[in-house]
Amino acid sequence: MKTQPSLVSGEVRLPWLRLSRLAPHILQAFGVRPTFHEGRFTICAVVMALSLVCNVNALSAASPSFADRVIEHRLANGLTVLMVERHQTPVVSINITFAVGGINEQVGQTGIAHLYEHMAFKGTRVVGTTDYEKERPILNELAIVGTELDLREREVAVKGGGATADERAAIESLQKRFLALQTQAGQYVVGNEMALMYQRHGGVGLNASTGKDLTRYMISLPSNRLPLWAAIESDRMANPVLREFYKERGVVMEERRLRNDDSPNGLLFETFTSAAFRAHGYGIPTIGWGSDILSLTPAATEAFFKTYYGPNRATIALVGDINPKEVIALIERTFGKIPAAPPAPSLVTVEPEQRGERRVEVEFDAEPALVIGYHKPTLGHPDDDVFDVIDAVLSDGLTSRLHQKLVREKRLAVSVGSDASHPGVRAPNLFVLTATPLAPHTTAEVEAAIYEEVERLKQEPVSAQELEKVLNNLDADLVRGLRSNSGLASHLALYQAVAGDWRYILTSRDNVGKVTAADVRRVAAQYFTRSNRTVAVLVKKSLGKSVTAMSGNEVQP
Amino acid sequence: MRIVRGEGQGVKGWRVTALLGMAVLLASAVTGSAGEPVLGDPRSMAFQPVEFSPPEPDRVVLENGMVVYLLEDHELPLVSVTVTMRTGSWLDPIDKIGLASMTGAVMRTGGGGGLSAEQVDAELEQFAGDVSIGIGRQSGSASLDVLSKDVPRGLEILAGLLRRPAFDPARVELAKLQAIEGIRRRQDHPGSIVGREFAKVLYGPDHPSARESSLDSITRMTRDDLVTFHRDTIHPNGMILGVTGDFKKDEMLAALRKVFGDWKKGTVPELRIADVPEAEPSRPVVRFVSKETSQTHLRLGHLSIKENDPDYVALAIANDILGGSSFRSRLFNDVRTKRGLAYSVGSRLNTGTHDQGVWLMRAETKLTSTQEVIERFVANIERMRAEPVSDTELAEAKEAYVNSFVFSFASPSAIVSRLVELEYDGLPKDFLQQLRAKVVALTKEQVQAAAKRHLRPDRLKIVAVGSGEALPKALATFGDVKEIKLSPEG
Repeated sequence: MKTQPSLVSGEVRLPWLRLSRLAPHILQAFGVRPTFHEGRFTICAVVMALSLVCNVNALSAASPSFADRVIEHRLANGLTVLMVERHQTPVVSINITFAVGGINEQVGQTGIAHLYEHMAFKGTRVVGTTDYEKERPILNELAIVGTELDLREREVAVKGGGATADERAAIESLQKRFLALQTQAGQYVVGNEMALMYQRHGGVGLNASTGKDLTRYMISLPSNRLPLWAAIESDRMANPVLREFYKERGVVMEERRLRNDDSPNGLLFETFTSAAFRAHGYGIPTIGWGSDILSLTPAATEAFFKTYYGPNRATIALVGDINPKEVIALIERTFGKIPAAPPAPSLVTVEPEQRGERRVEVEFDAEPALVIGYHKPTLGHPDDDVFDVIDAVLSDGLTSRLHQKLVREKRLAVSVGSDASHPGVRAPNLFVLTATPLAPHTTAEVEAAIYEEVERLKQEPVSAQELEKVLNNLDADLVRGLRSNSGLASHLALYQAVAGDWRYILTSRDNVGKVTAADVRRVAAQYFTRSNRTVAVLVKKSLGKSVTAMSGNEVQP
Repeated sequence: MRIVRGEGQGVKGWRVTALLGMAVLLASAVTGSAGEPVLGDPRSMAFQPVEFSPPEPDRVVLENGMVVYLLEDHELPLVSVTVTMRTGSWLDPIDKIGLASMTGAVMRTGGGGGLSAEQVDAELEQFAGDVSIGIGRQSGSASLDVLSKDVPRGLEILAGLLRRPAFDPARVELAKLQAIEGIRRRQDHPGSIVGREFAKVLYGPDHPSARESSLDSITRMTRDDLVTFHRDTIHPNGMILGVTGDFKKDEMLAALRKVFGDWKKGTVPELRIADVPEAEPSRPVVRFVSKETSQTHLRLGHLSIKENDPDYVALAIANDILGGSSFRSRLFNDVRTKRGLAYSVGSRLNTGTHDQGVWLMRAETKLTSTQEVIERFVANIERMRAEPVSDTELAEAKEAYVNSFVFSFASPSAIVSRLVELEYDGLPKDFLQQLRAKVVALTKEQVQAAAKRHLRPDRLKIVAVGSGEALPKALATFGDVKEIKLSPEG
C-alpha cells in the first residue's frame, strides 16, 4: 500500500536490490522497501489515490460496462461480497476488509486492532493445533497468569524504587508458572499452519494490514483453490484461537521499534499526528503506544474480536478466474453459517476545533525533515474533493507547483509531497505537506516557501490547464488501477468499507471533475490558516562519537 | 500494518518461468478428484494441478540489433514499453563513482530529442504519460506507460530521451545537489546502514557490487562526463524492449522502426565483474556500527554461488526451508513465532549470473536479545548442515513452488519481462523449466550436501548496527569484533 509522501530522496540501492528488476516480490518479503512506509498511511493513502483516479469516463474507456462487471451479493448475516470475473489466467485475488481499525480503540488499549490482526494468523480450533480440547484449559490459565503477572509488574514500575522482597517473590513465582504454562501450551501448537496451507496450495501475497479505519486480509491463489480459502477464512472469521499471544506481543514490540522508534520519518509522523489530534483517536499511532501493547490481554483482545469482526462488518472482494454463481454458493455454505454480530459501539469523540498553531520537534540522529498539516473534513463533504485537486496541483509530478518552486527553482528541498487524507477517512482528517530540505537550507526556509505557495492558492486561480491535467491523470491512473486483480479487489473492498458503496469510485471522480478554480481559492482560504495548522520538525541530534570526521568509512579495532 | 511483507512466489530469489501446461504430479498436490471438493477440514483438501498455457510473445530483432518482445493484450486501453540496456555502474570510472546513476537520472530529467526539459515534463504530464529512465549496477532500464491513444507521441519522447538526451546544465546541477543530499542522509536509517556496510564487508568497499558515490566523486562530475557515458554505453544493439498492451503488432513494429530504426549500432560494453578472491576461512568477521537505536539491526552471511551453478537449485531450496519462505521457514518459526524476538526475520539467496551471489540472514531485535538471535541463526545453519531436512519440509517446499508457478504468468507484462531478463542474463529461454524439473527431482540428500558446501559458519560475516556499550559485548562470542566508524557524510 502507499505511502509516505517521500521524505527522503537519494534512495539507497543495496547491492542485493540489484535483482529488483527481476523479482520485486523478493524485496517485499524482506521488507527492504526504502520508499514505502505503511501503517499510519495504510488506508488514507489508498483512498487518496483512488479518489483521485476513479472516473466514470475512464472506466468506460477501460471497458464499456465496467460497472456492470461488478457483481454484488449480500448474505443474510450482512456479509457483502463483490466479484469481478477475469479469465485470462487461472488465478484469483481476494481481499477481506473489516470496518475496524485503530479508530475503534479505547484509552489504555491502543494497538489492540493491530495485535488482533497478528493473532488472526494463529489458527482456530481446527487449524494450528494438534488437540484443541487439551490446549484450551492451558491457554485459559496462561491468560489468567499472564494478566496477573503484567499487573504486578506494572504496579512495581508505577511505584518506582524497585520491588520489595515479597513483591519480587510473587512476581518470580508468577513468572515460573507462566513459563511452565507457555511450554505446556506450546506442545499442541502447529506453528503458522494456516499460512503453510496457503503456501502449499500455491498462495502468494498472503498478508494483512491494519490502519486507523480498516483491517484487511489478502491472498492470491490458483482459482481452483477457492474451497480451501473459504474453509480457512470462514473458520478464521468465526473461531479464532489466540494462541502464542505473549510471544506475538513481543513480535509487535519489535515491529514498533522497527517502524516507529528507529525510523526518523516514523517517529516524526507519530509525533506530528498526535500533536494535531488531541482528542480524537486519529492521534494515536495504529501500532499503539509501547506501554499499552505490553498491557494488552488475551481477554481484551478476544472481546475486541467479538465486537468488531462480525460478518456484518466485512466486505469480501474477489477478482479473477471465478464463476460468481459458484462463488456465492461456496460463500453461503461457509461464511453464511456465521451469525451477525450485534452493532458495535458508535464513535463518540469529535476533535475540537484547533485554536492556534501547534509546533512540535523530534530530535533524532538524522537529517532534518518537515511535516505541516491542516484539519479538514473527510469523504462525503464537498470540500474533500477540492482538497484532492489541491493535492495534485501542489505535488503530483515534476510539473507540480511545489516541485517546480521548491525543488527546481529555489533549490530549497530535495523532495516535497502532500496527502489529502491523513491518517484516515472515517473521520475528519488532515491535509498534509511534507518536505526534505536541501542543505544548507533549513526547515524554516522550506516552511516559508511552502506557505508562499499555499497563499498563492488563495490569491490567484489555478489555471484551466492545471485542472485539465489533474483530470487527465485521474482518468489514466484509474485505468492503470484496473490492471491487477489484487489492486482491483483492494479498491472495491476499500470503498465498500469506508463509503458504504464501491460505486463511490465512480462518483468521486465526477465530483473532482466539477471542482472549479473558485472552489480551490475558497477552500484554501478557509482551511489553510495559521491557527488550523500543526507543524512538526525533525531536528538533527548527533552522537558525537559516531560522526568523527574521517575521509570515508574506516574499520577500527 | 503488515504481519509480513508479502509472500514471494515459490522459492525466493528464483526467476520462475516455465511451461505451466506441463503437469507435474506431486503426489500430495494432486491426490484429489476432479469433482467438488468436500468442504470441511482445509488440511485434507486436495486439488487438480493448475493447467495453463501462457501466451507466447513474439521476438523480433530490428536491423540495428535492437531486440523487441511483443505481446498484445486488449483488455485495457494501455500500452507499456520497457527497455533494458547493457550499461551500468560497473562501468563507473574509479574517480567518478555514481556517474552511471547520474547519467540515467538526467537522461530522464534533462530534456532530449529536440525538446527542453520543461517541454518533456509538461507534455508528458498533461497527457498522463509515464516515462522513467535509470541506470543500476548491472543494467539500465527505461519505461513508457501510456494510454494507447498516446503511443506515437510517447514513443517519440522516449526515443528522444534515450537517443539524444539534452543534459540541460541546470538539471545536471540539480541532480548533483540531490545526489549530495542523498549522501548526507545515508546514515539516517539503521536499516540502510547495515545493508550497505554488510555489502562492503562482503565484497570489499571498492568492488563494483558494493562501492558507493562520495561527495568528491559527485562534485567532480561534469556534464561532459554524462554526455560521454551516454555516448559510449547506450546503443540500440545493447537494448531489449518488452512491449505489452493494447496495440497491433505490425503497427507497433512500424512505430518502433520509425523512432529507433535509423539509430546506428555501437560497441556494447561487456558485462564482466571480477570475483572476490576467497580468503582462507577462519573465525567469523564481526563488525558493528554505533548508532542510537532501539534495536540491533543484524545481517549475517557470506558471498555465494552464481545462478548457473550446478548447486543452485539445491541451495535455493535449502535457503527456502531455512529462512526464505517467511511463515513456512525455520528461522521465522524459531526466532519470530516461538521466541517473539523479531518482526522481520529470514534468510535470502540473491544470485545473478554476472557477479557472485550473496546469501544472508537478517533480523532486527532489541539489544538484550541480540546474542540469542545470532545464536539461533548459527544453530539453524549448523542444523541445515548436520541433518537432512524432513520429507515434509521438502514436499512443502516443492508444492509451494509448483503450485504458485502460475503467478509468474499472471500478466502479459510478467511473461514478457521474464523473457527479457533471461535474454539479458544470457540464460536459455527454458532456463526456468529446467529449474522446475530439477526442483521436482530434488532429494533431501542433495539439499543437505548443498547446505554443507554453501552455508558456511566459518565464513560468516556479521554486521550489526545498534547502540550502547553492551553491543560489542553481545557480539564478542561470535568472532573478532571491530567497530566501523561512519564518516558524517556518507
